[in-house]
Amino acid sequence: MRYSDEVLKRVREPQRVGALPAGADVGSGVSGTLEEGTVTRIDVRVTGDRVVAARFKVFGCSAAIASASLVAEWLEGGSLEEAKALTAERVVAALQLAGEREHVAQQAIAAAQQALASVAEGGTK
Amino acid sequence: MIYLDHHATTPVDARVLEAMLPFFSEQFGNAASRQHAFGWAASDAVERARKQVAALIGAGSKDVIFTSGATEANNLAIKGAAKARRDRDHLVTVATEHKAVLDPMARLAHEGWKVTVLPVDRNGLLDLGELAAVITERTALVSVMAANNEIGVLQPIREAAALAHAKGAWFHTDAVQAVGKVPFDVEALDVDFASITAHKVYGPKGVGALYVRRKGRTVAAIAEIDGGGHERGLRSGTLNVPGIVGFGRAAAIARAEIADEAARTMALRERLRGALAANTEGMTVNGALDARLPGNLNVSFDGVDGEALLVSLDDIAVSSGAACTAAEPSHVLVALGLSKDRALASLRFGIGRGTTAEDVDYAAAKVADVVTRLRAMSPV
Repeated sequence: MRYSDEVLKRVREPQRVGALPAGADVGSGVSGTLEEGTVTRIDVRVTGDRVVAARFKVFGCSAAIASASLVAEWLEGGSLEEAKALTAERVVAALQLAGEREHVAQQAIAAAQQALASVAEGGTK
Repeated sequence: MIYLDHHATTPVDARVLEAMLPFFSEQFGNAASRQHAFGWAASDAVERARKQVAALIGAGSKDVIFTSGATEANNLAIKGAAKARRDRDHLVTVATEHKAVLDPMARLAHEGWKVTVLPVDRNGLLDLGELAAVITERTALVSVMAANNEIGVLQPIREAAALAHAKGAWFHTDAVQAVGKVPFDVEALDVDFASITAHKVYGPKGVGALYVRRKGRTVAAIAEIDGGGHERGLRSGTLNVPGIVGFGRAAAIARAEIADEAARTMALRERLRGALAANTEGMTVNGALDARLPGNLNVSFDGVDGEALLVSLDDIAVSSGAACTAAEPSHVLVALGLSKDRALASLRFGIGRGTTAEDVDYAAAKVADVVTRLRAMSPV
């Protein structure tokens, strides 16, 4: 599988890997299962209407790592409105993912949306 | 970039390239041109190479049919032998064979042949009792690879061939990975057909050979390619003279250096295995260690996606499963009973002529780093 430079740099020198400590302003979302081959977790911390921090963890292929990394990158520093508008199509386009890898972009977006919803529901504490 | 993928292919040895070069330009004759000196020179060079290739596998030179590679040799042996034995209707092979054996078998199954694909044990080895039980007087051909391209496991070829012959079946082996790496002698093993290729033994791509037994037992194959009757009528087409000359030189070098090379690559393999085991928890070696190609190591790491591992090893060329099926779990590892996760989390190291101790030390350290990083990244 050949990947774009956008994927490779995120796999080889990943940024924003990790989890955020639980808190009322922190949300966490998990998408995928081990049986499916990919599990993506995204955590966000929200202050007012801004996502002030985003972290990710992934078990899966390079495309899954790059997708979660890119989504965390886009989330951090953006508004909630921008965060909710993120789509898998944007991830696929930015990373130039092949068709058979699109589902990992959808997982990253699903984990992000779950994390945002989790903050709205009172966070992880 | 460190190259540790010598089961996929090998670089052309400088001595091989030197031998080949005149046959692209000054000595460009067609080996089938019998009327002039250009043709004679080409033909002489091909026959010298045929002797060199034959010597590497203990064959007579007339037993060697040059092909475009091992895939063609496998197709010729399997389909050709099947077509030559219309009185029988059964073929036997093994689940861990290369696709260049499994796919021709599948084609023949589609055409009405009964094909038995035997499983292997957890070490990747064929059970001779199971093999004996499935071969009957209806079996035309048994095909078992000498050494596996992913896990390097060496099958009991002599014993398997004897079981085939006991029921009057012919025996073919895909010997691509074994030849030049471990002793392989068609007479000692008593095989009827053997597929080999140049590019796994530091020769050029695009040239291989099929050994077809001519003495002791009558075997036959029907040609797949017609048009001129080259290569005893088994493989028509103008011969790839530079490639064949390169194959011959590569075979001669491999024959001369096999003992030293095997000892050196095995020492490096064990150095790599030791360093990986010492620095990386949760590592499993896939396939038998005691019946294995000296330069092969195939390992899985718990809790790591093999593809992400491979991509993260940005300055080491290794392989995850077979090169042509990298996106899928390896059918070889699945046949050993590995879970899909573990099969996908495998790395194949192929140590070769140019590999140094520094290379394997670096690779072991890098793999340990990346495995640790990927595990830390995992949410499960």
